[in-house]
This record gives sequence, C-alpha cells and structure tokens, in this order.
Amino acid sequence: MSTAMDYQERHLVKMANQIAGNVPVRADVPQQISQHMRQFWTPVMQKSLRQIAAETPDSLCLDVHTALQNL
Amino acid sequence: MNMVQQFDPAQIDLSGDLGTPGATSNVMVTVQIDGMPVSVPEGTSVMRAAAMVGANIPKLCATDSLNAFGSCRLCLVEIEGRPGTPASCTTPCHEGMSVHTQTQRLDKLRKGVMELYISDHPLDCLTCPANGDCELQDMAGAVGLRDVRYGMAGENHLDRGKDESNPYFTFDSSKCIVCSRCVRACSEVQGTFALTIAGRGFGSQVSPSEQQPFLDSECVSCGACVQACPTATLQEKSVINLGVPSRKVKTTCAYCGVGCSFTAELRGDEVVRMVPDKQGGANEGHSCVKGRFAWGYAQHQDRVTTPMIRDSVEDEWRPVAWDEAIAFAADRLNAIKATHGVDAIGGITSSRCTNEEVYVVQKMVRAAFGTNNVDTCARVCHSPTGYGLKQTFGTSAGTQDFASVEHTDVMMVIGANPTDAHPVFGSRMKRRLRAGADLIVIDPRSIDLVRSPHIHAEHHLPLMPGTNVAVLNAISHVVATEGLIDEAFVAERCDMTSFKAWEAFIRLPENSPEALAEITGVASEALRAAARAYATAGNGAIYYGLGVTEHSQGSTMVMAMANLAMATGNIGRVGVGVNPLRGQNNVQGACDMGSFPHEFVGYRHVSDDTVREQFSAIWGVNLRDDPGMRIPNMLDSALSGSFRGIYIQGEDIAQSDPSTQHVADALTAMDCVIVQDLFLNETAKFAHVFLPGTSFLEKDGTFTNAERRINRVRPVMTSRTGRSEWEATCALSEGMGYPMPYESAAEIMDEIAELTPTFAGVSFDLLDRLGSVQWPCNDQAPTGTPIMHKDRFVRGEGQFVTTPYVPTDERSTRKFPLLLTTGRILSQYNVGAQTRRTENVVWHAEDVLDIHEADAEARGLKDGDWVEIASRAGQTRMRARISDDIPAGVVYTTFHHPISGTNVITTDNSDWATNCPEYKVTAVEIRPSSGQVA
Repeated sequence: MSTAMDYQERHLVKMANQIAGNVPVRADVPQQISQHMRQFWTPVMQKSLRQIAAETPDSLCLDVHTALQNL
Repeated sequence: MNMVQQFDPAQIDLSGDLGTPGATSNVMVTVQIDGMPVSVPEGTSVMRAAAMVGANIPKLCATDSLNAFGSCRLCLVEIEGRPGTPASCTTPCHEGMSVHTQTQRLDKLRKGVMELYISDHPLDCLTCPANGDCELQDMAGAVGLRDVRYGMAGENHLDRGKDESNPYFTFDSSKCIVCSRCVRACSEVQGTFALTIAGRGFGSQVSPSEQQPFLDSECVSCGACVQACPTATLQEKSVINLGVPSRKVKTTCAYCGVGCSFTAELRGDEVVRMVPDKQGGANEGHSCVKGRFAWGYAQHQDRVTTPMIRDSVEDEWRPVAWDEAIAFAADRLNAIKATHGVDAIGGITSSRCTNEEVYVVQKMVRAAFGTNNVDTCARVCHSPTGYGLKQTFGTSAGTQDFASVEHTDVMMVIGANPTDAHPVFGSRMKRRLRAGADLIVIDPRSIDLVRSPHIHAEHHLPLMPGTNVAVLNAISHVVATEGLIDEAFVAERCDMTSFKAWEAFIRLPENSPEALAEITGVASEALRAAARAYATAGNGAIYYGLGVTEHSQGSTMVMAMANLAMATGNIGRVGVGVNPLRGQNNVQGACDMGSFPHEFVGYRHVSDDTVREQFSAIWGVNLRDDPGMRIPNMLDSALSGSFRGIYIQGEDIAQSDPSTQHVADALTAMDCVIVQDLFLNETAKFAHVFLPGTSFLEKDGTFTNAERRINRVRPVMTSRTGRSEWEATCALSEGMGYPMPYESAAEIMDEIAELTPTFAGVSFDLLDRLGSVQWPCNDQAPTGTPIMHKDRFVRGEGQFVTTPYVPTDERSTRKFPLLLTTGRILSQYNVGAQTRRTENVVWHAEDVLDIHEADAEARGLKDGDWVEIASRAGQTRMRARISDDIPAGVVYTTFHHPISGTNVITTDNSDWATNCPEYKVTAVEIRPSSGQVA
C-alpha cells in the first residue's frame, strides 16, 4: 500500500478489501461488493476508491477492481 | 342468587396486591367467598380469589410477586366442611368451596397474631419513615387491634442495630417481623440468594450472606427486598431523608435495553424513589441497582442547564440564552454549507434519547442540512444486528418478547453477560434456568450465569476472542451432519436455494468442531454436546450481546446465528428465537427512527423512490437518494478537511468510540461541533456549542426496548433547561431554514406512525391505554406483535447465508501476546456519565484489568498492582485483578471511567459490513507499572 495515502484513503482501502474477503456468497464476489457499496457507500467514497484504484492499483484486491467496474 | 364473577384479567385491578401469583390453568373452578361466587383458574389461592372480589384478607408474609409461604398466620379463613382455619395464601380453590373470611373466630385469631407481632415492634409509628406506607400498621388497623397485653418488658429484638452500609437503603432489624418476604424476593425474583434467615425460633433474623453488612454481602442492590418488605425494616434512604411520596408518575428507565417500567414517586418536583411497575411488560415489577436507585445524576451539580458557545475550543465557554446559542450554531453550519457544500456537515443521534427526539434529529439532517450524513451510536454496538437480521429474516429486530424465555428449554447465551448488563432480564433467565431449562454459554469469560446459586451451565464453550463465527459454523456443522436439521420447517419456511448452498458449505470438513478446535480453543466433544443440546431440547433460544457484534465478523456472526435458528426450526413461536440484548435503553428505537445513513424510518433504503417520495411529500422537501456517511467515515473526512460540522446528540464519541486519538484529531479539525448532553462530556472538550440536554425524568416521549416494546417516557419533573430536547433541535432546524413546527412529542409520534408501516397504529393515546406495544403495531396487529416471523418471515422466506470464517487482522503476537476484551459491570453503565455521578461508584470506583493467574505470574504481577496495557494503538494504565473467570491468554476490562482510557488502546478494526468497531479483540501486552497516568 502506498505510504502517500492519507488516513481516509487507507481506511477506504481496508474497508473495500475487507468486504471482498467477507461477502458471504463466494460465487460472485465482485457483484456483491458493488452491491454493498451502492447500498452503503456515499458517491464520494466510491469516487475516492476509484481514484485509489487508478493511482495505487496494488492496494486493492482483484475482486474490488472488478467491482468498481460494475459501480 | 348472585351472578358468578368470571375471572377476567382485563377486569382485575392488577396494580393492587392480590396476595399470591395468578394461576395459568385453563380449567376454571367456582368458589363462594363470603357468599360471593367467583370463578378462577384452578390453582388460584383462596387469598387471590378473595382479593379479586374485593374481600381483602389480612396478610403480612404474602405478596403477589412471591410464591405463597404461609408463615404469618394472619390470613386464616374458615372453609365449610373443613376443620381448622387454614392459611388462605397456601390453600388453592376447589370447585364448590365455600369460604368465610370474616368470622368472630377469625377476628380473635388474627388479633392474637397481630398482638404478638406488635409486642416485639418499636412503637414509633409517628416518627417511622414508613408511617402511612406500612403494611404492619395497615394490618393492625385491619384486624382492629386496640391494645397489646404483653408490654415491652419481655425479651425482644428492639435493641438490634441498624445496617446503613448500603448507599441506598437501610436494614433496621428491630422492625423486622421475619416474614421472609425479603429472603424470598432475593431468591425467587432476583435469583441472587444473598439473604437467608439465620438462627432458629425467637432468634431467627434476616441475614445478608453470613451475617455480613449488606454492602459486604452478595447483595446486588436490586431493591427487590426493599420492595417486598412490609415494614420499614428495609427502607430507601431517600424516603427516610425526604418523607413518604405524595404523587406518582409512570415512566421508563433510561439505562439498558430491557426498558423497565417504573413509577416515579415524588414530593412536589423532587423524586423520592423509583418503584418498578408490576404491570411493566418488560420487567413485571422487578428492577436493578441502576434503574431503581441510580437516578440521582439528573440532579447532579455537574449538570449544565444553560446553553453555551465559544468561537474556538481554546476559549472559555460563554453561557448564553437559547436563541443566541441556536443562532450561533445555525450560522456556523450554514456557513460551512455555503463554503464546503451540504456533505460537509452531519449529525449523530443517541440511543439515550426518545424516539421523538431521534426522529427530529435525523429529519433535520436530511431535510434542513440536505444530506444523509446521519448516524447513531448503534454504529458501535448493534449495527451488525441490523445488517444480519435484515439479510436473513427481513428486519432488524429481536424475534421474541422477554416473557418468551419462560417457555425455553435450552438457552444459548453468546457474548452477553445478562446478569450485569441486562440484569432484570438476567433474573428472568435465572428463574427459567432454576425451573429446569438447559444453558449453553459461549463466551471467553466464565460469566455469572456459568455458575451461580442453583444455576450451572451444562455447556460453557470458552472460545478465544475473535472466533465466534468458527464456533457457530462448527455447531451448525454438527446439526447438519448428525441429522438434526428440522427439514420440515426449512422446507415450509425458508428459501431452499439458499438453504442448499448453506448446507453444502456447512457440511464441509473444514467447519467441523475437530478442524476448528485449535483456532477456537473449544474442545470438539464439548462443542458437539452443546450443538446436540440446542438442536434437540425442544425450544432453543439464542440471546446475544456485544460479544457477538463488536467483531470484524459481527454481521457474519449474526447471520450464522440466524442460520442455526432456522435450520433447527427455532424461530416463529414462543420459547425460541434470535434475540439481541440491546446495550442502551433506546438502541432499537434509535435504529427504527431512521438514524442510519442509508435508511429512512422503518429500515427503508433512501434509494427507494416510492418511500422517498412519501417522505418528501410529508416533509415538504426533496430528499437525497444516496447513502450518507457513517460515523467513522465522517471522522475520516474531517481529517481530510471535507467534513467540517457535526451535531452530536447525547453521545460521547471521544470516550466511547475506538481509537480515541483519531476521534480527538477529527473533532479538532472541525469548524463546528455541537454537543447536546447533560454534562460537559469528553466530546464537549472539542465543541463550539453546548446545548443542555434533558434527563429521562424530564422527557416526554417513547423508548423502544430490545423486545421492540414501545414504552411511554413521561415527564416526572419540569425540564431544568427550560425546553425539551426536540424543541432545541426544531429551533436549530428552523435557524437553518427548515421549520419543524411541532406542538408536542405526541404530534411527532403521529408523524412517525403516518410514515412507518410497522408503527402505523402507534400513538400516545394507545400507549396510555395499553401501557406498551411491541411493533409491528398496525391494522394487522392493533395491539402489537410479541413474537415475530410466526407464519412467514418479514422478507417472505427465511434466507440462509453462507458464513465463511475469516480471522480478524488483530492477532496475538510475540510483542502483544494477550487478547483484551471489554464489557460492562452491573453497577456502571457504558461510559459512566450517569452512574459515575451516583453512589454506584461505591461498587466500582475504577476500571480494573482482569488477568489470569498464569499470565500474572509470568509478569510478576500481584492482585491490585498497577499495570501498563499496551496495544499497537496506544497504552494506558489501571490496576490488575487476578481472576479465574478468564482463560489464560485473555485479559478483560470495563470502560466506565474516562481516566482508564480503555479506548485509547482499542484498534480501528471494524465489522466488514457495518464498521461496528472490534472492541472485543485487541492484542496487548501487560507490564508492571509504577502508577496511574497523571
């Protein structure tokens, strides 16, 4: 994870990866991540995560990247 | 001929004392009481039947909250065809029985008995604190006693000393008539068995524990003995000091989620005592030390009753009039909105406030602020309950009423300590356990329920903190692989696709008790035995607390419990269910009232166009369709500069939320922090506006308890701040350009009912008529719904959800080898803002760290030593207590005192679905310390 991230960005990354690791149905994890984010995340948080995904892609797991494409 | 009076509960005045408990038989018998026929359930005592027709038989040892005892010999009656004069309290009614309660023979016998009592009783009625409120005095009058032949010169007990050790009541043995009501209340009602009758014959006396002072005994100061005492032997000190009350107001306790009903008894505007309401649906006449006695904080000198403002947190507070404070706050919030946008501000509602107060705050945030940035303190306690139960059952609520436990065959208590945190329900559980129900406790600690008088948990699974989901998966694995699934229930009530997926998952060998034993620390055979007990006992009920929710997998664990209940058919009837024990008095209500940033009132998502249009129409404003920020996201945004103003209603996030330094930094970064509270709490140190709040004794509204019971909170005294909290909120909203012109709290509830299908039938009028109702309360259920999901789940079919165990990131390491978990103690409540300002500090003056003997010895620690507790988040100090209630490798503390700084060391880990903090798992190291932090 990039050391350039501020607290908020690090938290968003942690939240996103944690959702990816915990969503119950493991068959379509990206779909569940994007559904969860639509339901509970503000548009600003979603936008910030997209930006993080673009700037520091290694900080997020593959499922989160896929989920962001569905958002 | 007289008409037979049928037993009809609705016609009986249950507020009076009918002498013995009611019978539950469906078989009715008809008896004659002094010639008056009455029909009662078989098993009803003669005393109770007589009271029901207004023939009150004199009594002293009998009261209808306790089983009949038959010791005082005052309630004698004559029964035609039977010899002697049996005690009416212990004599059941039989068909055709003809009873006489008033005869010359009985008069003579009763006078003789009373004469003996009075001959050994101080004749100080005029100066006695119970004068006018004494059953002995009343009975002397009732039997017509006019003189005592024996004088006072003989042997007596009048020189016995008075025990004043308890801060709230005295024990004056000289006034005791040894009726054993206190002893029986302590055992039957409270279940503590702290009192006994020591000695024999004339030497008999009530004794706390082994003739110890009350304060040093096992007494938990619930007040049941004081309530039961018919004389001034056990007497509230407040009554001794202030006198007998002159007026009464029924209201609801503001401590835990049990939500006990009380009668506040006053002289003028001063509370003399709080008496638990026998007709209270949640508590049925019982109480705990907090609700019964710890209400003095409302008058504490630390109360701030005047609004205050300051330009900067460096400045001194400036007391101002309400209008100036409101204008100051509105200007600041409006300025932030204008400069940084509507999403730069938000609000937090409080579970200590009424439904009506919470409703107007979230409405102000959505309608006046123009954002969905509203959250509630349930974020840090039961938000995973909301998520997990909605996914599986369809709504965020416990499934049962409290009374349901009386029909439970096996209780599974997970991550909860009811006798400390929900003591009145804990007593109810104990009654059922003493009557034979089995008990499974899943908790790292050996909580009180594991072994206490006449109770022993057949199954205690002392799991390692953080492994809840693994344990529940293993239990479900046993159920699924040993043929214990209730196939018929699942087929009829549940979604079969999700069930099949769950069944395939749970049967995997990796979920077996044997595979998980090393992770959980629970022996596989013990776990298998517990699983079989739950699945096969008949009615299995799950009760859980924050030891479930405050984990990185809190939501997963809630769903795992729901899966287990559905798989075993333990849902939808009396005696079963999945039941969150809510932490604060109105957690359920605050969640119901639309406090979450993604939901309107009644748990309906803000993106639902139909719902949003309904709210827009009534509120007269366009509403946002995107979720707002949760508390941790608001704090994060504050640090990055995009969130700059917050309204905090009755919550002390600087003490209660995790990672204290992070919270402090975020609050410091804001331009406008508005705190509405009783006291200048820790959060107020960072505030620019302080709006004085009202105590529960001043509020008018409703609380909703853990069983969805909506109870009235009535103003016992006038507001010390000059206005209601909802009025202050409405004034601020108006200052921000959105008036909310309510005339009363009742009017707010009417609007809630109009907008919320599950509250559609609720009104103050209904609550005043029925006492309380459990939602859903609407046309389909006009008097409420004690048991949910009876014929169908709220979501239709029950949804199984696979629950893979994902270990928390927080693990013990060589540097931090112990796992810290936290909880509450009986005498204190959450961050202690209320209870620390009462005499309850006598029981818990400071937080201490419980540590296992082996861990203490390895660090050279003795009981009472100061220790430093260090985690990767921070460090603090407190005293250590060697305890065998916790396993080696685990330490435990409470968080009631701000100086302890417990949340300085808790981490920023949180539940994956809801961000509920992981308070229950923090890796720490303990070292000897020289003393307390300066």
